[in-house]
Amino acid sequence: MSEISQSIPPHDPHYAPHGDAHDHGHDAVHLPAPTAWPFLMALGVTLIFAALVTSAWLGVLGGALTLVSIVGWFRNVLPHEAHEDIPVPLEIMSYVPTLEKVARIEVSEEHRAQFPLETFPVSSGILGGILGGIAMVIPAEIYGVLRYHSIWYVVNLLGGAGVGGWTNPTIAQMSHFQLGAFVTANIIQGATTLLVGILYGAMLPIWPKRPILLGGIIAPVLWTGLLHSMLGLVNPFFASHIDWASFAASQVIFGLVAGYVVKKRGRLKRLAAVPLAVRLGVETPGLHPTDQDPSVGTPGLHHPGDDEHTGGGEG
Amino acid sequence: MSCLIIAESAIFTIFVVAYLYYIGRSLSGPTPKQVLEIPWFYSACLLSSSFFIMLAEHAIEHGKMLAFRLWWLVTILLGVTFLYGTGAEWRKLIFEDHLTISTNLFGTTFYSLVGLHASHVIVGLLMMLVTLAFSLTGALKPHHAERVKVLALYWHFVDAVWVVVFTVVYVVGR
Amino acid sequence: MGEGTLPVVPGIASGADAGAGYAPSRGTYLETIHSWITTVDHKKLGIMYIVYALIFLLVAGSEALLMRIQLAVPNNTFLDPQTFNRMFTMHGTTMVFLVGMMILFGFGNYLIPLMIGARDMAFPRLNAFSFWISAFGGLLLYYSFIGGSGLPGTGTAPDVGWFAYAPLTERAFSPGHTIDYWTVALLASGIGSIGTAINILATVFCMRTKGMTLMRIPLLPWLYATTSFLVLVAVSPLTAAQVMLMIDRYLGGHFFDTQAGGSAILWAHFFWIFGHPEVYVLVMPAFAFANEIIPVFSRKAVFGYPAMVAASVGIGFLSLGVWAHHMFTIGMTSVGNAFFTLSTMLVGVPTGIKIFNWLATIWGGKVRFQTPMLFSIGFLFQFLIAGLTGIMLSVSAWNWQLHNSYFVVAHFHYVLVGAILFMIFAAIYYWYPKMTGRMLSERLGKWHFWLMLIGFHMTFDLMHFPGLMGMPRWIYTYDASRGWGTLNLLVSIGGFIQAIATLILVYNMVRSYFRGALAGPDPWDAWTLEWSTASPPPSYNFAVEPVVASRRPLWDIKHPEDPDSAFE
Repeated sequence: MSEISQSIPPHDPHYAPHGDAHDHGHDAVHLPAPTAWPFLMALGVTLIFAALVTSAWLGVLGGALTLVSIVGWFRNVLPHEAHEDIPVPLEIMSYVPTLEKVARIEVSEEHRAQFPLETFPVSSGILGGILGGIAMVIPAEIYGVLRYHSIWYVVNLLGGAGVGGWTNPTIAQMSHFQLGAFVTANIIQGATTLLVGILYGAMLPIWPKRPILLGGIIAPVLWTGLLHSMLGLVNPFFASHIDWASFAASQVIFGLVAGYVVKKRGRLKRLAAVPLAVRLGVETPGLHPTDQDPSVGTPGLHHPGDDEHTGGGEG
Repeated sequence: MSCLIIAESAIFTIFVVAYLYYIGRSLSGPTPKQVLEIPWFYSACLLSSSFFIMLAEHAIEHGKMLAFRLWWLVTILLGVTFLYGTGAEWRKLIFEDHLTISTNLFGTTFYSLVGLHASHVIVGLLMMLVTLAFSLTGALKPHHAERVKVLALYWHFVDAVWVVVFTVVYVVGR
Repeated sequence: MGEGTLPVVPGIASGADAGAGYAPSRGTYLETIHSWITTVDHKKLGIMYIVYALIFLLVAGSEALLMRIQLAVPNNTFLDPQTFNRMFTMHGTTMVFLVGMMILFGFGNYLIPLMIGARDMAFPRLNAFSFWISAFGGLLLYYSFIGGSGLPGTGTAPDVGWFAYAPLTERAFSPGHTIDYWTVALLASGIGSIGTAINILATVFCMRTKGMTLMRIPLLPWLYATTSFLVLVAVSPLTAAQVMLMIDRYLGGHFFDTQAGGSAILWAHFFWIFGHPEVYVLVMPAFAFANEIIPVFSRKAVFGYPAMVAASVGIGFLSLGVWAHHMFTIGMTSVGNAFFTLSTMLVGVPTGIKIFNWLATIWGGKVRFQTPMLFSIGFLFQFLIAGLTGIMLSVSAWNWQLHNSYFVVAHFHYVLVGAILFMIFAAIYYWYPKMTGRMLSERLGKWHFWLMLIGFHMTFDLMHFPGLMGMPRWIYTYDASRGWGTLNLLVSIGGFIQAIATLILVYNMVRSYFRGALAGPDPWDAWTLEWSTASPPPSYNFAVEPVVASRRPLWDIKHPEDPDSAFE
């Protein structure tokens, strides 16, 4: 084991002379000298293994060989590792590209898939999702208190799966605190709103102009409609007890809050006028618009924090 | 060496998992509860040796060869004590409790896990003895501190594994 | 246009004796052999790895052909059942451990120091030791044909499948030494693998030349580093499990002895904790070759370098958590089934990223359809299909239907042959000029590619169907009334076409070694550092250690008017 760590010390002065052979006038490189010990040691170890399936004498031979090799190997690297000097003949070699010249892909400024000049970062979407998730509890709770006089009803409705013993619970059961349901409901609510927030943030560049319209009206309506048609299959009990009006209200509140938060956090200028291919990370030389004003092109490229859409591929 | 430790950790993990998996699955006795005693003293020896080898590392870094030899020797002695402890335990298990590796699942997993660890202790001790010999003949110089530290890292690893083995075999397994 | 001057390159590049290798060719045979045995040069070791693996490729391929002859027609008696068992065991073991691992480590050994501008691997002597112990392990495995002793009269080599499921491997069911040969040979080769993995990691992280930051190394060293990490954490469990098996067999332990309370399922878990990452250990270097070859032949830099790195490392980590999808039929809890279904599907995400990035690299490029590129395109297509059948099999309900059928065999051969072997061939065509100084014949290469492609699809496309029709793995014959006969015959014929293609490659390699066109240092107009030195490179690799300023150092030299470094 220690011979592994000792076989090549990277900072050993005896291993250092590379590189400047030309500059310093001596034209030889130190390389580790050839040695048979690794070969013999491998043979020895294999013979030990082979002894298990053949005869013990082979093991004795292998053991002896291994021992001798270990000593030999140690003497090879300690106190100084064995070297041989390889003379380096120097010759200038010139390079001419054998093939064609650099071709440039033309990308016009009116390219169809231009990203918007400015948009919101994904982090805004996530923050909006979290805050919206908290806000949407309010209409749901208003419904629960008005209708069943209990703040635990909606919690139990959402997290009922977390209570093992429930098969069709009564209203009375649903109106009391249940730890399992409470924990489950929190996990479901937290995870869902976070995921929806991420999705929202990721979709923002598609409709960058009106985040509140997207987040507050269109998405909740679509989402509620989708759930309304699907929930009967996924969770029939939930579907039969849900009040769709307050459900839709919660969704809209979620969307409005999320959209407001995003709007409030402001826009991030990015990727101003760089061609699509560059933003996607294509590195072919010729693409990079060196003739462009670097103050326009490069900030978007080299902004480490807002890399979500570039595939991270810039140079 | 770090890579080697990763690989070794994986091997130990597999053996530990096998041990945990087979706890209480033996079809016949003796069970761990009947025969195992917690080796407080020998464990303390091994774990404290980690401390002494640290002193040795510190000494060689500052070029104090005499102190280095002393702490190095202490470490080796503590390691040997631990090894003796394991040997005595096995002797008792084999001759008094008639637990061998083929007796039952507990025997199989116990001897292989503890034996795997003991073999690492032996390898570590051998390498440390060689180092001690070098330092006594004067071949070991303070500028070899880096290499000594690599060896020490291995020894720390062996100790850390013992903490896991000890927990699994003597605390959880009983 | 770009005429750069590469500072200093030794003169032997243009010498007429470049093809004769850099062994002291004027010495006697004995001296030559001695120089190869004692060498610690990563290039010589790499070549030895590759040659050794290619020899075993022919051996294991022959074993596959024997099996295909046996299965070509119903009720065949060409091989007896025991021999058939030995054939599939040895075929699998050899292909994975002696061919796959060896050839990939060979290319890694050869290329990584050259690509990162180092003079040698971090631990050259350990490198030699790793090669030799792996090589001896392989020889020991094959010695079992002569020296092994199994059930009376049934012979010799291991016959329990390459996964060696317990309790079939216990003394009671496998007397004699056949399993022991399997175990000790793999233990030996496992030591070698772990040594090489340590070496590669240390080399990639410690031996880079000046300016070669981690985000500037070519993708090949990145992928090899991931592979090496996987080897460390995956081969070790196999070693541990094999030690347990040895304890069972030699010392009477009960790890996998079900009659004493041991668990056969535990072996399956331990084996697949190794076995699944092993697939990625094999496929990552294939990705690595694709990452080097596709950009050069598309004349574009690789698309999305950081995404590629992230996807590779991601695949590496994910692959550690999917092993039990080999064990859906073993009877796990529904939570376990769901977890391993989902985690397996998750692997599709970074893999998809890689495929899209390769496509985007080709997109809009000026593609040169030379043999390495042809094999790479074949790889892209076939790897996609293999991934799709993989997603199908990851669904545990579907898996219950098809597990251990020929559908599974077809799926993993699509990965191992269609993806990995195709990329190995591409790599041979691409780097053979660097290793020998001579070009492989392009005409023979095209023959090789098209025959291989036809043979491959004939064999493995058609192999899916007997699987869907219910043909299980590991059967040595079947009844004519099953209706599998025609398909199996076609599959066997396809196997022989592949064999012919492979023989063309062998002939091409031998012939080109003596008579191929001289390659010069940079025959492909490539961009990574290994092409900046002579072909074959001198033992010290670089006369002057190169200094790097971008991901494509040679591009910078060739195109000083438009260097990559201006964009970093």
